[in-house]
Amino acid sequence: MNNVVTTHGLTKHYGRIRAVNDLTLDIPEKSVFGILGPNGSGKTTTLGMLLDVINPTSGTYSWFGNFSKKENRQKIGSILETPSFYPYLSALDNLKIIAEIKGIGYENIGEVLKITGLYDRRFSSFRTYSLGMKQRLALASALLCDPLVMILDEPTNGLDPRGIAEIRELIRKIAGQGKTIILASHLLDEVQKVCTHFAVLNKGRLMYSGLVNETHHDELQLEISSDKNSELFTLLKTFPDIKKVEISGEMLVITLPGSYAISDLSRFVFENGFVITHLVAMKKSLESQFLEILNEKA
Amino acid sequence: MKRLIHIELLKIKSNASFWILVSLHIGIILLVVLSGKVFLHSLSINGENISNMVDPDSIPLYQFPDIWHNITYVASFLKFILAIYMIISITSEISYDTLRQNIMNGMSRTDFIISKLFLIVWLALGSALFIFFTGLIIGIISTPDLQFHDMIKYSGFIPAYFLQLTAYLIFALLIGLLIKKTGLAMGLLFLYTLIVEPIIVFRVKTDWIKGLFPNRAINNLIHMPFGKYALREVQDYVAFKEVIIVLVYMALFIYCIYLLLKKRDL
Repeated sequence: MNNVVTTHGLTKHYGRIRAVNDLTLDIPEKSVFGILGPNGSGKTTTLGMLLDVINPTSGTYSWFGNFSKKENRQKIGSILETPSFYPYLSALDNLKIIAEIKGIGYENIGEVLKITGLYDRRFSSFRTYSLGMKQRLALASALLCDPLVMILDEPTNGLDPRGIAEIRELIRKIAGQGKTIILASHLLDEVQKVCTHFAVLNKGRLMYSGLVNETHHDELQLEISSDKNSELFTLLKTFPDIKKVEISGEMLVITLPGSYAISDLSRFVFENGFVITHLVAMKKSLESQFLEILNEKA
Repeated sequence: MKRLIHIELLKIKSNASFWILVSLHIGIILLVVLSGKVFLHSLSINGENISNMVDPDSIPLYQFPDIWHNITYVASFLKFILAIYMIISITSEISYDTLRQNIMNGMSRTDFIISKLFLIVWLALGSALFIFFTGLIIGIISTPDLQFHDMIKYSGFIPAYFLQLTAYLIFALLIGLLIKKTGLAMGLLFLYTLIVEPIIVFRVKTDWIKGLFPNRAINNLIHMPFGKYALREVQDYVAFKEVIIVLVYMALFIYCIYLLLKKRDL
């Protein structure tokens, strides 16, 4: 598989602060690549360097094997932080400017406005838009050139739950068309729902880079609850295959080997005279994985 | 290139501050130019003679060929209105983050500078053409004995006006880019133009050194014409040496703009 972008030793210092430190990363073609990290971990700085708006202190990057030419950026649709448009211009005129910069015609403008649900408001000036509409116009602008790569930095910031669901749907649809999407977010849930690959940054350093599903198979987590939880807790502690039992509110959370059959556990509990009222198998969440990665290396 | 021009046109098309300041520029030029006659007439009525020799009413302020020198000199004072627009244009690109977005979308930094230089040339050309037609009409109306060689004599002040305006707007672009904040940039531009540089120039004793200061150099393209009506000697031509100084400054400003934008994180 080819890489859309590779970086080598990318570094950015702001005075004594190392915003990004020696970052070497490959982003494969046709992936939905999540860049995770706490606030201030260097996600936006990294993307800013890849988009030529921040000058790296040292290190290099290359898009499509073609380095940092402006023609590369014309094939990338990007949103960095807040949507930036000319507030006194209409959505239509704003998109026309972007089309001119990208060297394409105006044919797609109507379509991207329809996709993002802004077609009826296309003549209103940008400053009259609500935050959600601004965010959607940014998405429309990123879609405008039928991009090979989309870079989305916190794309669901400030959106309501419906807007978030719509964006997620849109990202899946675009990824389904064989495009590469680079998604920076501190919302792990978001990344887990749409991404195929992810990287974790902390304090400007790359902590981890890999596939989203890769690390889940060795463990199984169950949430269980019965009529007598405290007795159940004592019982489960004696159950030989269980790695860990924890009380979490009204529930017990237990960790088993990945290959374990849930029916065996259920039978064991029932035979000991408990009635199960709640039993859910949980995929180990990206959040716990993420926190583990941060803790391991810290 | 065509795309860069089109981009700038789209940006100004529905920009209120652009239309307000351009209208103001045109309106005030007309007002000032046309009030000259009224002013002289009132002097004449009050019986005041300049140098006790000349009747103010008979001064050929609006006649060919004097009109070209007079109108461009007066209009050059109003270049600050377009400079205000230039500062608004560049500082708002910075504060709205649209400069950054333009680069992200695939403009190079050089492209961005070129598009702003296009805007400057457009404004200067538009203003110079406006001055040209205003001068032409006023001249034709006011000159009793129209001679072609009178009409074109001194018309070299029109290109000089164009050059002057272009240079000053590039200076304003540089200040705007450097300072980033609209109000502060305007304040500093005027503080420098109207107070700091004149004071320094006043302290300097040697004439040719005075002419090396940027604003003085820009203003020197069109020397004050009115002295001649009081029978004083004035420079009624555009000096080649002074054009060269301004061209050097323009190149220097553009180079500074280029360096500033290239080094900066957006």
